[in-house]
Amino acid sequence: MKKHAITLTVNGEDRDLVVSSNRTLLDALRDDLGFTDTKYGCGTGECGACTVLVDGTTAINGCLTLAATMNGKSITTAAGLARSGNLHPVQQAFIDNDAIQCGFCTPGMVLKTISLLDENPKPTEAEIRHGLEGNICRCTGYTKIVEAVQDASRRMSGAGE
Amino acid sequence: MTSRVMRDFDLLLPESVAEVLDLLATHKNKAAILAGGTDLLVALKFNYSVDNVISLALVPGLNGLSFDPVQGLTIGAKVTIADILKSKVVKEHYPALWQAAKVFATPQLRNTATVLGNILRASPAGDCSLALYACGGSLTLKSKRGSRQVNLDDFWISYGLTARRDDELAMALQVPAPVRGQKSAFRRMTRTKEDLSKINAAVSLQMEGDVCMSARVAMGCVGPTLLRLPKIEKMMKGSAVTDGLLQKISDQVAAEISPIDDKRSSAEYRNKVAGVLVKRVIALALNGKGNDQ
Repeated sequence: MKKHAITLTVNGEDRDLVVSSNRTLLDALRDDLGFTDTKYGCGTGECGACTVLVDGTTAINGCLTLAATMNGKSITTAAGLARSGNLHPVQQAFIDNDAIQCGFCTPGMVLKTISLLDENPKPTEAEIRHGLEGNICRCTGYTKIVEAVQDASRRMSGAGE
Repeated sequence: MTSRVMRDFDLLLPESVAEVLDLLATHKNKAAILAGGTDLLVALKFNYSVDNVISLALVPGLNGLSFDPVQGLTIGAKVTIADILKSKVVKEHYPALWQAAKVFATPQLRNTATVLGNILRASPAGDCSLALYACGGSLTLKSKRGSRQVNLDDFWISYGLTARRDDELAMALQVPAPVRGQKSAFRRMTRTKEDLSKINAAVSLQMEGDVCMSARVAMGCVGPTLLRLPKIEKMMKGSAVTDGLLQKISDQVAAEISPIDDKRSSAEYRNKVAGVLVKRVIALALNGKGNDQ
């Protein structure tokens, strides 16, 4: 099987690696580069646990992307969101609103929320639920997650953020 | 199954259409084309294997989504569902397609899945492909032997099988420009919102006042391929669309389809709701009402 030498910019840092043809972006991030904050859920693009942001805030499923097709791309995972020791406002909003139980869906939820708020800084509840349709949470029942997104929306549109 | 690993294959990364066509001519049915990958990679994790995967990632010139009042809409091979949703032109002139894109899968999948991929998948449950079937269109298929157009009406042969030949690349879909009085809509029913359709319907109607001059009526999940309903189309052609006509149409739909029992629904249920769904999608096309999706 063919091997491919690629460079991914992960959370701002260039990483060179050699991947086989069938390596997914998720496998490369978790197993080759150690970004285990990106989770393996279903492997078929339904649960959103493997969500990462590509070239800005476009959210995709790492499990349905071949690593070798991502050469030169910039990838953001949840581990790359904090700035000088401060959590991203979306991360802080998830904590402050108790939107985390087991935490497995949280990295994907947080990244998808960032993507959603970038496109639509003040979403309605219906827009939030539509925007997070690709992220499954088996603990919370979603209410607190929706509240966290609303809170993050307020924090990020407020002064000083 | 906790960890799904794809079988071995060689990933090929051509940088031009000409290179893609060379590779297709060489590998033929030993190659699959990867655009968005949201269907192909899932298949590769389950029951499908292929020696070569030809990625379009580095191929330029396939991203075009353009509208011309005479030529209509051109959708390039790499245009994603998210691109459709962002297009004001699609929303205005092809509401059925826009409505299908809105409810298509999940946001992450919409960012990578392509419109042409949805057509090429030849699923009887496709959403964007169904909307486009109602709107009508033709695919440009290109190989080293030349280029040809295949109308969507002739494209789907059976489940998962299309008129595309092994050495052909689907370059673009051309959708006719809307004529005066053209209305279209898409509706579907699902178990949960992000699930695949258990039944879906799309119409494109050419209206003069209350009278329907011509109609294309299409349904999904009710046969081995997406289906047009020619008897319903005939009932509508030249008729005023009244409540009485809608009821007659609704009563006739079940006789036009052949759904099966599967994990998303039963044949009995699909037969029961199909007529109501068609009635509602016509109403949505005509007055914009009933879009609660």
